[in-house]
Amino acid sequence: MANTMLEVKELSTKYITRFREDVYAVDRVSLAVKEGRSLGIAGESGCGKSTLALSLMGYYFPPLHYTSGEIIINGKNISGMKPDDVRKSILGREIAYIPQAAMNALNPTRKIIHFIEDVIMEHEVYATKKDIYERAKKLFETLGLPAEVLQKYPVELSGGMKQRTVIAISVLLLPKVLIADEPSSALDVTSQKMVIKMLRHLMEAGMISSMIFITHELPLLYNVVDDIMVMYAGQIVETGASREMVFDPIHPYSKGLMGSIIVPEQGLRDVKLTAIPGVPPNLKKPPAGCRFAERCRFVRPECLVTNVSLRQAGDGRAYRCILPEAELREAYAREEHKK
Amino acid sequence: MKGYLRYFLNKLGWFAITFVFAFLLNFILPRLMPGDPVAAIVARFAQGMSNSTGVQAIYEQYVELFGTNKPMWEQFVIYLQNVAKGDFGFSFSQYPRTVADVLKASLWWTIALQFPAIIVGWLIGNTLGALAAYLKGGFDKVLMPLSIFVSNFPPFGMAVIFMVVFGVNLKWFPTSGGYGFDLIPSFSWQFIQSVIIHYQMPFWSIVIIAIGGQAIGMRSMAIYELNADYVKYSRFMGIKDSKIVGYVFRNAMLPQITGLALSIGTMVGGALVAEIVFSYPGLGTTLLRAVLGQDYPLISASTLIITVMVLFANFIIEILYGFIDPRIKAVQAD
Amino acid sequence: MKHIIQQVFHSGKFVFGFSIFATILLIVIFYPLFVPDPPLTILGQGTFFPPGIYVSVYDSLSATSYTLNLDEAAAKRIASKLSQEDRQAVKEWLIAAGIPEAEIDPANTEQLLDQWFANYDSKKNVPGMTNAKRNYYIRLNNALKGLLSPDAATVSQTNPQTGEMEQIDTINQTDYVNVSEVANLRLLPLGTDNFGRDILTELIAATRVSLQIGFVAGIIATLIGLTLGLLAGYVGGVVDDAIMFVTNLFTVIPTFVLLILISFSIGQEQRGAFTIAVVIGLTSWVWTARAVRSQVISLRNRDHVNLSKLSGHSIVHIILSDILPYIASYVIMALILQISSGILAEAGLSILGLGPRTTEVPTLGLMINWAMIYQAHILGNWWAYMPVLVTIALITFSMNLMNTGMDQVFNPALRD
Repeated sequence: MANTMLEVKELSTKYITRFREDVYAVDRVSLAVKEGRSLGIAGESGCGKSTLALSLMGYYFPPLHYTSGEIIINGKNISGMKPDDVRKSILGREIAYIPQAAMNALNPTRKIIHFIEDVIMEHEVYATKKDIYERAKKLFETLGLPAEVLQKYPVELSGGMKQRTVIAISVLLLPKVLIADEPSSALDVTSQKMVIKMLRHLMEAGMISSMIFITHELPLLYNVVDDIMVMYAGQIVETGASREMVFDPIHPYSKGLMGSIIVPEQGLRDVKLTAIPGVPPNLKKPPAGCRFAERCRFVRPECLVTNVSLRQAGDGRAYRCILPEAELREAYAREEHKK
Repeated sequence: MKGYLRYFLNKLGWFAITFVFAFLLNFILPRLMPGDPVAAIVARFAQGMSNSTGVQAIYEQYVELFGTNKPMWEQFVIYLQNVAKGDFGFSFSQYPRTVADVLKASLWWTIALQFPAIIVGWLIGNTLGALAAYLKGGFDKVLMPLSIFVSNFPPFGMAVIFMVVFGVNLKWFPTSGGYGFDLIPSFSWQFIQSVIIHYQMPFWSIVIIAIGGQAIGMRSMAIYELNADYVKYSRFMGIKDSKIVGYVFRNAMLPQITGLALSIGTMVGGALVAEIVFSYPGLGTTLLRAVLGQDYPLISASTLIITVMVLFANFIIEILYGFIDPRIKAVQAD
Repeated sequence: MKHIIQQVFHSGKFVFGFSIFATILLIVIFYPLFVPDPPLTILGQGTFFPPGIYVSVYDSLSATSYTLNLDEAAAKRIASKLSQEDRQAVKEWLIAAGIPEAEIDPANTEQLLDQWFANYDSKKNVPGMTNAKRNYYIRLNNALKGLLSPDAATVSQTNPQTGEMEQIDTINQTDYVNVSEVANLRLLPLGTDNFGRDILTELIAATRVSLQIGFVAGIIATLIGLTLGLLAGYVGGVVDDAIMFVTNLFTVIPTFVLLILISFSIGQEQRGAFTIAVVIGLTSWVWTARAVRSQVISLRNRDHVNLSKLSGHSIVHIILSDILPYIASYVIMALILQISSGILAEAGLSILGLGPRTTEVPTLGLMINWAMIYQAHILGNWWAYMPVLVTIALITFSMNLMNTGMDQVFNPALRD
């Protein structure tokens, strides 16, 4: 039985806008990632997946605020810790983050090595600059990055190189959990492949124990992660093993989202790209009932008023709908038949 | 170092080109006007002058000096030679003083006033703007509208208000001049004291205007930087806030330095007018006298000197910037 | 488009700036309808009459007189006649007469007069007092006595037949006229300037001219900047290099210097308000050109522009329909700033004596220039320059507020 590296219980966070309005971006999200596993989080832009990534770090700064719930990283419950203790003992060591736009993730006026020094000295008081350099050089070489990069400014690196440098810096302290927020979406295809290869290598080499990978590019997710979670309007709507999630979704939203997936090697080229009509609800005032109700093909009057919770469907599958699994599958089969 | 040298040479070349161009403009613009400029100007000037031999002397000297009856290119060569010798001819309005003599006196006053005032205003303004971006809240809410107002206030208006409040009403500082009118410039304690007292109002009125504009610029830059991705990433790597603030302000500062280079011309223009309000014995006041006295050679030489000053300041800032922003050396080295 | 305008009007800063500017504009438009006097008419003989209502003394004499018994009248009359220097002199005398300084309050007229009449003695010899000073005190004493006496003032006229002065009327201290019955009065809310012209009327005319100068300069600068920026950004290559070369030159050479050189070369006679506006416009397009160019470069390779190119649209068509709409907000913001800096540039030039020639129209800069030449700021005649400065500041402030407001709408990063 592998250890649970990251466990999140009923985590809620919100944004407070400059007009003092609350935006409930993450609503009672629970998840668990075991050692050696990777979890993908998918959803439309604005569904709260990037906010979830930020929230999982357990270190909040405006406009994002913690509301309730617990985050347990490698057995340590960090929700009750002081922010400064989280910063010193958790960030970078237990959990690390790769930002969405790594292009600008590095301070443009600081050499890579100097930033690495800043990071390590923040956590290890006795580290010397010489040691740090040796360590960084070794790590970079292990990850297939030239050591000269250390002496450069970010502006001198190409986009793909910058992203890989950021990843290398993120795993400098060998964190247990790595959260990658769309790490490859801004890159060209070659660089994308290198980044994905690098992330896989990190898992295989045991430099990180678990990973959460966030993206809106579903084919990518299918190839990279073990499990997939679909988010909609700040909530999890469905979760399960990636193959089942992609080829056999239960929730109408997942179904719609997966309808847009193209997996060429599976011969699914002819699957039509279907955009789901409508827009997500306003999270300043989340709807009382099912959040997807307004866009759902199978909506019923009670959907609009009933608060729907996640239903278990065996094998770690869970989905958020008042209709039973069987009924939904029947409906999908009927649609398929009509075509 | 190789990278920096390249940057330096590049800037030096650019500085030289701009200088040549500014020099040409200074020569050509007045000559684009129809007619014999020297004759017209001397004639206009002569209307108010009773000493007709003086007028005649000036006229002859100028025709001789500028060769206005010769072709344009020859005039240009003569102009070049005169400038190289530092000989701008006689001043019309302050005859028999030469233009070089008049300017030599006022140039140092202007440099001593404007250079420190602009630097001090820049420093204070950037500090305030950075604080406003970082502290936000009440400090920001008070400082920003105030800065917007001050920076939009005409420079001469600020000078007039300073003068009326602190000079005429409160009588804290003298209202005009660079030193007491009963004193002769010397290195006596009394003279220096008088200079310091006369210095305050022009100095602070220029500083205040500079503060406003710089504070606004620095605030936007700092807010922009505070929202930059590297701030978030650095935080998530566990770096403490004080260090991140250090990153942010250093980075926000850099565009402010180039901003200073670009706006220094406008600032000097405003400060020259402020000099006029206080009758400060610098280039601004000299320029006003030259205009009032239709003193063409003095105007031409003043504008040339002001341009050179601004160009030079610009050049110095760019050179310093190359030292401060590490990216320049790095990128140029490739 | 409608949506954008709505958004802009949701910005508090923009609305505030816009209200100030609209108010100024409305005043400039409507005031001349109510006060049609030409702004440069010389009303006053003499310089710098303070603001207030001017009542014809001659007409007051012939107006019906009413008797009002007001308690404070005498004290107010003396208080208004007793100058600050006189009060100080009284205090000095009283101190010399042995009254403790703490008991003397120069601001309290009644008490001061009581102490004066109780202690003043013209024969008393104060050590160190000059003869002139002694005479001054005697005159002061007589004047004060005169002010306190209840006598009426006499109005006399020369009899055309006899040539003798004849008393025709007396004016008692309790006589009043009703201002509405006086045939001639003139309200000068901001007094007069050094030439004796009504400052308010002049100021409003000047604001109009200065705004026109700003608009003409702004539009010229924006058009040049826009054209060069579009060309440099869209066409690129050699055209871009050439335009940027010129732009960089003019960025470094101070605009102020160019303005001085050109204005002086044009000569006093040729310098009308319009000419000045054109000159300002021709020298201040640099920033717009830079801003437009960088915007266009970022737009140049967007999908919709590429699509338009592939569809075979002409450059003009692409610029007009695929690029201009996207940079319109920036161009308008730049125009606003150009207008406000144009107004400032005119003022700066005028202070140097290089503004529009002075005989036709006033401008804000010329008004400051006149006030400065006649030393209004040193003489304490605030009404000659303060309202002008405030007007300039309000115009530039309101325009910059509008600009900042729009900037926040279009650049969300600056919002908090």
